[in-house]
Amino acid sequence: MTIALRTAVLLILAGFLGSALADETCQSPYLPKVVGHEDFVYVWTLGIEGVGDGQDKLVTIGANPARPDYGKVVSSSSLGGRHEAHHGGFSDDRRHFWLGGLDDSTIFIFDVATDPANPKLVKTIEDFVDASGGVVGPHTFFALPGRMLITGLSNSRDWGGKTGLVEYSNDGEYIRTVWLPDDAAYGYDVRVNPRLNRMLTSSFTGHANYMRALSELLQDPEAMKNFGSTMVLWDYHARKPLQTFRVPGAPLEIRWALQPEHHYAFTSTALTSKLWGVFRKDDGTFEAVELADIGDPAKVPLPVDISLSADDRYLFVDSFLDGMVRVFDVSNPRKPKVILEKKIGSQVNMVSQSWDGKRLYFTSSLLANWDGTGDPDDEQFLKAFDWDGKQLKQTFALDFRALGLGRPHLMRFAQEGFFARGGAAATPEVASDVRE
Amino acid sequence: MRVLAVLVLALLPGLALAHGDEEHAAAPAPESALFEPPAPGSYELPPIRRVSEHELLGSDGAPAPLLALEPGQVAVVSFIYRNCADAGGCPAALGLLRKLDRELARAPELSGRARLVTCSFDPGRDTPERMAELARLMEPKGDWRFLTAADVDAIGPVLADYGQDVLRVATDEGESPLFAHLLRVFLVDAEGQVREVYSASFLDWRVVLNDVRTLLGEER
Repeated sequence: MTIALRTAVLLILAGFLGSALADETCQSPYLPKVVGHEDFVYVWTLGIEGVGDGQDKLVTIGANPARPDYGKVVSSSSLGGRHEAHHGGFSDDRRHFWLGGLDDSTIFIFDVATDPANPKLVKTIEDFVDASGGVVGPHTFFALPGRMLITGLSNSRDWGGKTGLVEYSNDGEYIRTVWLPDDAAYGYDVRVNPRLNRMLTSSFTGHANYMRALSELLQDPEAMKNFGSTMVLWDYHARKPLQTFRVPGAPLEIRWALQPEHHYAFTSTALTSKLWGVFRKDDGTFEAVELADIGDPAKVPLPVDISLSADDRYLFVDSFLDGMVRVFDVSNPRKPKVILEKKIGSQVNMVSQSWDGKRLYFTSSLLANWDGTGDPDDEQFLKAFDWDGKQLKQTFALDFRALGLGRPHLMRFAQEGFFARGGAAATPEVASDVRE
Repeated sequence: MRVLAVLVLALLPGLALAHGDEEHAAAPAPESALFEPPAPGSYELPPIRRVSEHELLGSDGAPAPLLALEPGQVAVVSFIYRNCADAGGCPAALGLLRKLDRELARAPELSGRARLVTCSFDPGRDTPERMAELARLMEPKGDWRFLTAADVDAIGPVLADYGQDVLRVATDEGESPLFAHLLRVFLVDAEGQVREVYSASFLDWRVVLNDVRTLLGEER
């Protein structure tokens, strides 16, 4: 079947399916998605003094067993120092990959369209703090049409948790800052549900805390008071807060359900080890509900990243200090059930899954000064697994220390030929199908 | 290619929907009842990017500027192509724009102040005559202009200026009649500033209408 013909078929399917497949799991719904097998995993990696060149870097890992670079480092681009590499995200056309540093608030923009195997740095934003009016610590990069929505973690006045949402054009030009409301001033993640015109934000802590050693921080009762305990529901289009929810213990990553008829989202709390849901009620308002423990909260496993499958059935929940992933069956979103607990490593932070839910990737690093808290060896890895609905089976692993790379954090997928054949410019429903 | 032609023909109802009775030209936002758009003037639409004026071709074949805005006017600009086979793409956007055209025409205070501009990015096929045909299909009630370009070289800089991503889909046999595109709709003010960008996947004509009113309210 020719590519054009396949495209025509898929375009038709897209027309029938509408927005049912308009989202890529865990990413902005405005992005064209990789639904076939990913060829590469981009890994935003913190530098470690004395390991390799010691710099933060964007590392490209081969992820397709049909390619000779499977399980190998394909390329690496160092960024001239350590910036507390953390999160990032694609622009809405998936042509550029924005990466943020939590310490000095530098933002790096890579061209990932020209040569997906070898991303090229094309722009660096060094005045984020000044341009935004004092927002510090660019965290989530969430693509909007023609723009990038960026959450902050802190501010330059007191380096605490009060912060804002900052928007840039796809060209990297500052647009505006919206500060979080006074009764819920801390920030962390942001996720938009366009079908509902609703946006959710969560809350963590400021620069003064996230740049301290975790073991030291846990012994400082005053500092421990300075963590977020709120989520905010917004009118997305107006960027106006509508409701504030009390969610104690630093609610972090937010995942809206992906199916069009599912009007809810999940989050996990780092300090209280709880899974929460935010549900739309019949009157159009929302409620936040505590759903389940994540491990034994008394042992403070420190839940971190979560990943929801595209069919809204499985929620993967990583916890940093015990290195575990717990898989919840969330078919009934108000009654999650743990169906698997598995040790990934001595510590684990991020988890990313393929659109078909068959492959998952885990990385080890949380923050430079928090890594190694429960593990003196401070192991740093990327591990790939296959998922069959019951078990996780490891397929390859890379030791980022031994490879001289550093601390692997955020992961995103890419495909060779995604752009050359027009896939990235396709509607979300058909994006990567032309390359299957 | 015969199969491809059949498949494309199978999608013509998508365009026919856009040309249906006004009552049936429903906005392509089936979940729109799930929220009430914010009221005009209750929010801000900060400039996202600045675009230039571009000289194109009108549906009568004569040179025509893309925006041609006077102070106190706004434009809703979209880029489409008539061979679009994605019922959720260009045909859906045309359905939205047709509904928006009707709503604008129903609001006397907006008369002469809001313009719709629909421009083809496939000038090789979408001649002025084909755009005139599209205009007849859409039956504009207000100021809705249908443009194309002299050739591919003329439309390229326009798309780049707006950040509209368009690529011709490659095939094993060479050029395809299909384009891959992330369909965006742009709200532009009289100073050439893009004030909102909409995604085709989540278009809601009520939001666009309120945004037009919000921008025009700034003039007061």
